Formats: sequence, C-alpha cells, structure tokens
Amino acid sequence: MAREQGPFKTDNPWPRIGWWSVAGLLAAGAVLGFVVLGGEQQNGPRLGTWTAICRALGIASDTGPATAPQPPLQTPTRIAWTAATLARIAGGDVKHGEFVALNCAACHGEQGVSQSGLFPTLAGMDAGIIYKQLDDFRAGKRSWGAMNAIATALSDQDAADVAAYFAGRVNGLAPILGENFHGGRTLREADVATRLAFAGDPARGIPPCAACHGPSASKPGAPSLKGQRPEYIERQLAAFAQGIRQNDINRQMRTVAMQLTPDEMHAIAVYYGSGAAPAELAGR
Amino acid sequence: MLNSRRLALFHCWVAFGAFLPAVLLGAWQMLMRSPLPAPLDDPGAYYASVTLHGTVMAYVITTFFAMGFGYAVAATSLGRPLRGAAAAWAGFVICLVGTAMAAATVVAGKASVLYTFYPPLLASPWYYLGAFLLVAGSMVWVVLMVVNMVGWKRDNPERPVPLAMFAITATALLWAWAAAGVEIELVGILLPRAFGWSDLIDAGLGRTLFSVTLHAIVYFWLMPAYIAFYTLVPQAAGGRLYSDTMGRLTFIMFLVFSLPVGMHHLFADPEHGSGFKFLQSFLTFLIALPTLLTVFSITASLEIAGRHRGGRGLLGWIATLPWEEPMVLAVALSLVMLGFGGFGGLINMSYAMNMMIHNTSWVTAHFHLIFGGAVVIMYFAIAYEMWPRITGKPLRSKALARWQLWLWFWGMLITTIPWHIAGLMGQPRRIAIFDYSLPLVARMASLVNISVIGGFILLVSAILLITVLVRSHFGERSVTEPLRYALAVNPPRQVPASLNGFALWNAIVLVLMIVAYGYPIGQFFFLKSHSAPAVEVTSQSAAAGVQ
Repeated sequence: MAREQGPFKTDNPWPRIGWWSVAGLLAAGAVLGFVVLGGEQQNGPRLGTWTAICRALGIASDTGPATAPQPPLQTPTRIAWTAATLARIAGGDVKHGEFVALNCAACHGEQGVSQSGLFPTLAGMDAGIIYKQLDDFRAGKRSWGAMNAIATALSDQDAADVAAYFAGRVNGLAPILGENFHGGRTLREADVATRLAFAGDPARGIPPCAACHGPSASKPGAPSLKGQRPEYIERQLAAFAQGIRQNDINRQMRTVAMQLTPDEMHAIAVYYGSGAAPAELAGR
Repeated sequence: MLNSRRLALFHCWVAFGAFLPAVLLGAWQMLMRSPLPAPLDDPGAYYASVTLHGTVMAYVITTFFAMGFGYAVAATSLGRPLRGAAAAWAGFVICLVGTAMAAATVVAGKASVLYTFYPPLLASPWYYLGAFLLVAGSMVWVVLMVVNMVGWKRDNPERPVPLAMFAITATALLWAWAAAGVEIELVGILLPRAFGWSDLIDAGLGRTLFSVTLHAIVYFWLMPAYIAFYTLVPQAAGGRLYSDTMGRLTFIMFLVFSLPVGMHHLFADPEHGSGFKFLQSFLTFLIALPTLLTVFSITASLEIAGRHRGGRGLLGWIATLPWEEPMVLAVALSLVMLGFGGFGGLINMSYAMNMMIHNTSWVTAHFHLIFGGAVVIMYFAIAYEMWPRITGKPLRSKALARWQLWLWFWGMLITTIPWHIAGLMGQPRRIAIFDYSLPLVARMASLVNISVIGGFILLVSAILLITVLVRSHFGERSVTEPLRYALAVNPPRQVPASLNGFALWNAIVLVLMIVAYGYPIGQFFFLKSHSAPAVEVTSQSAAAGVQ
C-alpha cells in the first residue's frame, strides 16, 4: 500500500486531479455567476465587470440595514379649534361677508345655492365648516381648481365674514326625503342608502352617516349635506376613497369612503341629494 | 457481528420504532390538507405534527440508522471487534436523551417551528437543546468511525480499506461537516435567544448556517443506501461489484460536492447576492456525477449477476436476477424513484427554474420521493439483510417483506406524483388548511385526494415493516451466515493513497467551504445585520390558524 501522501503534494496524480479540477470548477462558476450573470440586466445594457461583481455579491449603493419607507408627514389641516379660532368665526361680519360673497356667486349660485353638480351649496352651512374649508384651500390641504387661488386672496377676517354670511342664509334650501325620520334605522333595512345613513355597516366598521352629519343631514361640527347635489356628494365620496381629498382631520371620511362600493356611494349621494335635483336623478 | 451486534440492534430499533408513529402523523397531515374530513381538525396540531414528523424522519431515524449501520459495517467489514464500544453506548444514550427532549417539547405544543427551525420563529429551548444533543451525540459515532478506519489501516498497512468501511467513514465525515452548520446555528443564535440571553435573532445568518446542513444532510441520509448499492446489492444478486474504484470515487465525490451547495435552498432569500447563489447552484449540478456513476455501476453489477445466472441477450439478464431477494427488488424500485425524483431535483437546483416551484408542494413531493422513497426503501432492504445477522433468527418472511417494499413503492408514487402536479398548480407548502371552495384551490382537490390514498398505502406498508421485524425478532434462533460484502470483479490489491483515505478530500472540502460560504457568512459580521425580534410560537393557541 502506498504511503499516505500529503494532500498538497500535487506531483501525485490524485491530488493534482483533485486540486486542479476543483480550481477549474470554482473559476468557471465564479466567472459565470459574478461576471456573466452579475452583469446581465433585464431591460438595460450589460454592466461593467466591477459593478457586476459588486452586484452579484449583493453590495449595491443601498446596501445597509433596510428601513421601512417613511411617508411624508401630512397634516390634514392647519386649523386648530381653539377658543381664539371659534371667537374669530363667531365675530364674522355678515355685511362685509356679503361683499366678499360676490366672488362666490358665479360657481356656488345666487344666495349660495348651487345649480351645478360640481359645486357645493353653501347656504345654511355651519360657519366653522366654511371657515375651515377656506383655510384648507389656502394652505393647499384641499385642492379644487380656482378655489385655491380665490381662498389665497382672502384674509382670515374675510373668511370669517363670508362664512358668517352664508351660515345665515338658511332659507330656500331643498328638503331631504329622509328628513321625516321614517323607519329603516336597522341593519335589516333593505334600502342600501337608508341602511348606511342610519345604521351603517358594523361588519365593515362603517358608522351611520347620521352619526356625524345629523339625522336631518345637518349638525354642527360636520358639513351639512342638506341641499347638496348628488353628483357633488358622490364626487367627494370618491375623492375621499381614493385619497385625493385628505382634509378630514381624523381620516374618518377616508376610512368610511374606502369601504364603500361605487354603487353604495351612488345610492348615498342620491339619497342625500334627492331634494336638490329630482329631475337629474330620474335621468340617471 | 462481534460486539457491534447489540449496538446495531438498539440503534435500528430506535429508528424503526420512531418510524411508525412518524408515518402515522404524515398520513394524518395528508388528510388534514385534503378536502376530506380529518380527525382533530386543528391547525395548531398540524404544525406541531409537521415539526415532529420532520424532526423524527430527518434527524432521529436517519441518525440512528446510520449509526447502527455504521457500527455493524465497521465490525463486519474490518473483521474485528469495534473499538470504543463503551463510547458508542454513551453516544447512543446522549442521542436518545436528545430525541426524547425534542419530541416531548413538540408534543407539548411548545416547538411548532418545523425541523428546519425557521428563525425568527422561536421554540422552547428544550427543543433546541434536544436537537443539539441528538446531533452532538452522533459526533461520537463520527469519531469512532474514523478511529476504527485509521486503526485498521495502521494494523494493515499493505491492504486497502474495505469499500464498505471506506464509504461509511466518508458518510461520517460528511455528517461532521454538514452538522457544523446546524450546531453553530443552535449554539450561536437559537439557544441564546431561547434562553433569553439576547433580544434579537439574526434570521439571515441563521438560515445561511442551516443551509450548510440542509443539503448535505440529504446525502448523509442517502449514503447508507449507496453503501448498500455498492456492497450488498451485487452480493444479494449473486454477482460481483463492477468496479471498486468507481465506488471509492463515488463516495469521495459525495463528500466533496454535497457540502458547498446548500445555498440553492436560499434562492429566494434577500440576504445574499446572486453570485454565490449561482456558484452553489453550479456546484450542485456536480452531484449528478456520482449519482450517474452509481446508476451505471449498479446496473453493470446487476448485469454481471444476471449473466452469471444464465441470462442472455440484450435485456435477458434482467429476468434471471433473483427478484425474490428483498435487496434486489428494493434496488430496482429505489432506482426508479431516484430517477423521477432526480429529474425533479434538477429543476429545484436551477437558479431560474426554482422560482417556478419555490415554496410549493412540488418541493415537498420531491424530497419525499428521493428521501422517503429511494433512500428509505433501501433502509428497509438493509434492515431485512441485517436483521437475521443481528438477531440470529431468519427473516419472517421474505414474501411479506416483498409486499412491504412494493406497497411502499406504489404508495410513494401515488402520494408524490399528484403532489408534484399540485405544486406546479401553485399549492403552497407548510399550510394547514386550504379553502377548497375557492376556484383556484378547487382544481387541486382531486389530486390531493389521490395523494391521501398514497399516504395510507404508505401507512399500511410501515405497519408491515414493523410486523416483519418484530416477527423475526421473536422467531426461532437458527444459524445464519455473517453479513458478506460484494467482491469486486477485480478486487483491489493496491489503491492510491488518495483513494484509501480522506486527508486530500477533507482539505479540498475545507477550501471549497471557505470559497462558497466564507463571504456569505462573513458578510453578516462586517456588512449587514438582519437581526429581528423573535416570533415565539411556544404559546401558540390552538385556534391561531386560519379557519
């Protein structure tokens, strides 16, 4: 039997075969894996050798402990409901507000009653709501065409004044069919809109609309749905659902709207907007 | 079989004793995943069961069987008593304590992390400690195999080490290299966290270390089957081994090529770049070399036997083989399953094709066909061959043994072929409950049902196995011939030193491991940290699964 030879003596045939074949295989595998494969890109030119090797090693410019992407800090509004804010709104000058409101009539209608599905009715809206929306438009927290420019032109006092003016114009608003509290406040209600408006859908975490907007579609602290056109309501629901409109302070509208189906949004819009434009509804 | 007889018997009984309940768990798991009603319909129990099934099949049965077989081979092939029998018994006890610890923890529902551990999942420390003891105890066996081979070489400087001893020592060395990964993972990562000495788990490092073990362990399971192919099959068929050198080369190549390849289990892992994944995928293909070499040698050896028994013509020798011998029948069934499973394995190891089947039932089906099929059926055959020699009582009966082998073969094919297809359809693995009312899942229902039938055929076969072994154990004592190993056509008189020892090949393995794993493991210490809070599954409630 041959004496045991050292494993590194390559003048013997087996160590020579072993070391050379292993070296060759490693070299072939390394060239294929690090240079050829590493340089290949699915939609792009071949990478240079050095870049290819680094990439194949997993060293890229972003190498390091991964961090979860942080969304940019977003505040839904600048308004804080302090005593000063409330005092400013309460002290709005209706007379001056009427003058400022001349800017609004072209879109929001004579006396603040909208004739278009694109614009909300302002008449009878809570003054605090109008003041907040104007500030949101001014701060870029809510976006809608000309409104951002118009709001920017107003001072804080102008906003409080015009809010007071519209808040006082309660007459002439269209009634809402559901206003007379007829039944259907239970989850067993067959009509989708009535059910969502008065009972919500606990399974999906949707509170009833009436909880905030009031049983007669108007309640201090939430925008009045009274007299709004169905197209406007549906558009706002969709904007909340898609995150296009984000100025609800506690995300309550985005959370609810995200859960609604397009059919449900339509049904709710028709329900609350039913008094505003019965002729258009029939056509839809 | 001198002083190794009792050692071999005890080790084999632990292996096969654990085997039957593990198969039973497997059959229940098949039922659980299927649209059919299953008793104890509980996802928490399912994951505990998968953990126990995997732990028993992958660690307990294989380790005990390899150790028992190794002691028998060392004594019979060297023709002298085993050196270090006392140490061997100590190793046996350590392994047994570890097994009991791990199994009890899983049964208590405190370690549903599957046998591959999957950090940052965290089990009770008793599970990890049990697994560590089992692996550590088997290192006694590794040392004894080396000691016995080296001692025999020193006493017989003019003779080549018998192929069986050479091969079982290769197996032991392979296991020592392979087990290093899981042992370092247990000691360095899992146990410190389980005992509360650290807060975080570096999941990437843990997975990489386990990959060192995860593929080589498969060849540790496979090696006893290959040893039977080379040294027992030609003898049982009444012929001679085609080539002794081919046998030595095969075992050397398994030792060298089955280690630096584990990262093909991490193709979808983000903690490594593509370079080392490809390199290890490339090296994995080299395992085809010893596999194909073996298929050739064994077929050639069988042809020699068939022609010796009077077979004529191109294929006439096949009919004249002694098919009544369980060993001959088993090798044929094993090679068929190895063929099916091997081709599936080529897809798993290919860097790009792997993505098609990653984490699907295809993978589960693949390793059941290879390990549960091709390998384990050879364990059965080895047991049938060794049992009369260990117990001194004849096998009762060969006919029952053949039934058992055939049932295992068909059971495994019926289980795994639909399983492969379901995997291609996208069925994920490691899922307790499927919602078969979904159209995408409903398409798989009939395939899964067929698999369940296969699973129960396997259960019947496992019961038959235990029946045969127990009946033989308590049979009448009679004189049996000692275990004989096949002679080669040209028995080796002199072999080169490199084919008679492992110094060269261990050095090559060391270099390969440094090249293949040096950077992938080293990077965690100077480049990246993947530490994450552990996910404790020790207190998982029974209702935690998706209903």
